Amino acid sequence: MTTSFNDMRSATDLALSRRRFLQASGGLVVAFRLFGPQPAWAKDAARTSVASPPAGKLYAWLAVHPDNTATLFTGKVETGTGVQTALAQIAAEELDFPFDRLDVVMGTTSETVDQGPSYGSMTVRYAGPQIRNAAAAGRAALLNLASEHFKVSPNQLTAKEGTIVVLGSPGRTITYGKLVDGKRLEMEIGASGERFAMKVAPNAHPKDPSTYTIIGKPLPRKDIPGKILATFSYVQDVRVDGMLHGRVVRPYGVGATLQSVDETGLKSIPGFVQVVRRDNFLGVVAETEWAAIQAAAKLGSTLHPSGPDAGQAKWSNWNGLPKMDQIWDTVRETAEGRNISVASKGSAALAFGYTKRTLKATYKTPFQMHGSIGPSCAIADVKGDHATLWSGTQMPHEARRDMAKLLDIPLDNIELRWFEASGAYGRNGLEHAIADAAIMSQAVKRPVRVQWMRWDEHGWEPKGPPIVQDLRGAVDADGRVIAWQHHMWIPTISDTHLIAAALTGNPNATGETGTGGVPVITYAYTFENADVAVHDEGRVALLTAWLRSPAQFETTFAMESFIDELAAAAGKDPLAFRLAHLEDARAIAVLKAAAEAYGWEERPAGAKADRSGKPAHGRGIAWVNRDDSRVATIADITVDPGSGRIKVSRVVVAHDCGLVVNPDGLKNQIEGNIIQSLSRTLLEEVTFDSARVTSLDWQGYPILRFEDIPDSIEIVLVNNRPEYPSYGAGEPSTNPTAAVISNAIFDAVGVRLRQTPFRPERVKAAMSS
Amino acid sequence: MPSKISLNVNGADHAVEVEPDSMLLYALRDNLSLRGPKFGCGLAQCGACTVLLDGNAIRSCVTPVSAVGNSKVVTLEGLGTPEEPHPLQQAFIAEQAAQCGYCINGMIMAAKAFLDQHPHPSRDEIKQALNDNLCRCGTHMRIVRAVQRAAGSSKP
Repeated sequence: MTTSFNDMRSATDLALSRRRFLQASGGLVVAFRLFGPQPAWAKDAARTSVASPPAGKLYAWLAVHPDNTATLFTGKVETGTGVQTALAQIAAEELDFPFDRLDVVMGTTSETVDQGPSYGSMTVRYAGPQIRNAAAAGRAALLNLASEHFKVSPNQLTAKEGTIVVLGSPGRTITYGKLVDGKRLEMEIGASGERFAMKVAPNAHPKDPSTYTIIGKPLPRKDIPGKILATFSYVQDVRVDGMLHGRVVRPYGVGATLQSVDETGLKSIPGFVQVVRRDNFLGVVAETEWAAIQAAAKLGSTLHPSGPDAGQAKWSNWNGLPKMDQIWDTVRETAEGRNISVASKGSAALAFGYTKRTLKATYKTPFQMHGSIGPSCAIADVKGDHATLWSGTQMPHEARRDMAKLLDIPLDNIELRWFEASGAYGRNGLEHAIADAAIMSQAVKRPVRVQWMRWDEHGWEPKGPPIVQDLRGAVDADGRVIAWQHHMWIPTISDTHLIAAALTGNPNATGETGTGGVPVITYAYTFENADVAVHDEGRVALLTAWLRSPAQFETTFAMESFIDELAAAAGKDPLAFRLAHLEDARAIAVLKAAAEAYGWEERPAGAKADRSGKPAHGRGIAWVNRDDSRVATIADITVDPGSGRIKVSRVVVAHDCGLVVNPDGLKNQIEGNIIQSLSRTLLEEVTFDSARVTSLDWQGYPILRFEDIPDSIEIVLVNNRPEYPSYGAGEPSTNPTAAVISNAIFDAVGVRLRQTPFRPERVKAAMSS
Repeated sequence: MPSKISLNVNGADHAVEVEPDSMLLYALRDNLSLRGPKFGCGLAQCGACTVLLDGNAIRSCVTPVSAVGNSKVVTLEGLGTPEEPHPLQQAFIAEQAAQCGYCINGMIMAAKAFLDQHPHPSRDEIKQALNDNLCRCGTHMRIVRAVQRAAGSSKP
């Protein structure tokens, strides 16, 4: 029972790189194995390079094994959203191969093509067509092989479930496995461009979507049984021979510098190895996790250290963070970034000048965190100018390039072996943990596994930024919106500088502070005069990065709440008011589909608002266009005026992401988006003082629990038809939720909440003012 | 100093060499190579590390090895195998009740201890029983359905 599940390969074992995991029956051993006997090409050509395979070769995407199983290789990774299964369905469909005999290898940089990071709801949308073409080219290549084998023309052959049959000769069949005979698929299929924009196998002829038999089926996810049966290896489970355990000791204040380290007593911790210090980077390395945790605690890594000199590591007394309750003023004033006009039509300024009925409102949203249940973790083995990294990053190929720069090691000498991590919902600490582990491994010359403690994750994961938005609207006598202005001020949502780089005095070794770029607002109304703009402010206060549906969760909150404000001011039904100002057919379709499923009856919002002090019921509606997917959400809530508590009873979601690859996987995603966004709407706010984040555990940063989940989430799929491409589904249904709840609160009690989270005390305060 | 401590895990005795005041979670994961119990918070707040101790669901991240004594520890691995999954495991697979799955160990172990005491719970009772287990992916609806399925109950 003491067998460990090591990842045993060294860089020279890569001849065996076309492998998969086999979960041994006892559930304790993860062994590496090839399908069937080891193929001849693997024995012959021991690859010493850890470079990624060339995208123009069929073997970069597919391997067919003698036992007639197959492997799909993809640079995309699973983050809990089910894309492994969806991509396998796409490949199996085009390859005419049984889904359950197709395995998927993801992310490991020496075995996969860089298809761009797995973020932005872009995996099925962009990697899907790449894999579709590769698999279609694979099917054609197999038919060519069979044509030679049977000495007949390819058009006399047909492929079905991994077997090729000569038409009209039922006895003449051969499996893909026999046909390929253990060889690597050397065929040139062609590829041009990079990452998301890469075109693979341009001459392939993928199927007519109306003939699909595997795409569109609610097949069970490939990863779930292992996760339920404890036979699945997360990156947190990987163990490497000779590995030590590391823990980081972060500065007390975000910008504090390390004054001194008193190592008294560390050597008496059994298993303690050494302190790793480079400038302001501080870590400890030990033979056991427990020893590393004890040593880090002595130096000051605890849940609530009392100050910069509470531990044996002494930090400068840094107090450079802005005031938390004025963070939105700070954001407005920073203005380092650039201004981007999202929509400019007519003249909103002029229209406001001659209209009597104008409304103004400011919406505020706080720093929020990804909040992975499993803290970030990585293993690094840095030996001279070679490095092997184990990570669950959503961007393995980028992380490899980043580490080449940080460690100043040639890219060709670095391999990142990808294992799934706890869900991250954006850029959390996973990339940073790789750097932490690498720096410690470099120092001790052994593999080091670093897992952040809970307070490291809550304190130092890059946050979703606070945003402030000013809205102004004008309604004419007929109740039509004649002017609309929406300006937002936002810190960067993509700061990819590495924490360890900054701490080691090399802050710009890698990464950048991005601006704009992402569709943070999709403006889709037909108002005659409109002025919509994003003021992107660069870094403000804390390190920030993309958090599920970055900034669009917040902009949808403001936009779709404010349109409700205008509808109420005009005395109009909020659904009818939206429909009167929309031309986007797919937007109209999801709104109508949600309304029909819900049983929407027309009346102005707030018409039945109840301020009697009894629990009050309300309904809210909102929609979004997230990168070409459309989602409309309606919810019923109850406001308890005594406690200020919001209870969400019923949620109806109409979802149009085009052709759905796996309807049950999609529903799982939508349910998850709804519950996570309810959590962000009702509860979540990162707190901080002048030195540091203070919400360092689940008490300080509560998330939604079972007692607060809705009674039901009903899902209607719209435009799930073969004539539509598959758009993204990992994020869109997050977006409407905050507006839905804000609108429902107004409907219930006539009070408008414009700042998240809607915690009970905030709801009560709004009702009593 | 580390000492040899005997632990009964999943029906077998194991001698592990650990600090007596170190937490059970690390012995299970690092000494016995188990992957069911997970490190989530180390603070008994999230439930990812849940195991059964004499049938009770406990947080192994804050339970010192020295406190285990002769008690019987059961982890997710000890509930069922791929060949013979436990009814709860079957139900979680049937309901596809996982996204990233990192919390699921805790959900199943907490549900196991709960169903042993309350074989026919209502939906509200299940929600209450799991209320101290955190899931960040938002898989709650399916998790509740899976526990209902395992209990053979679909009472509201």
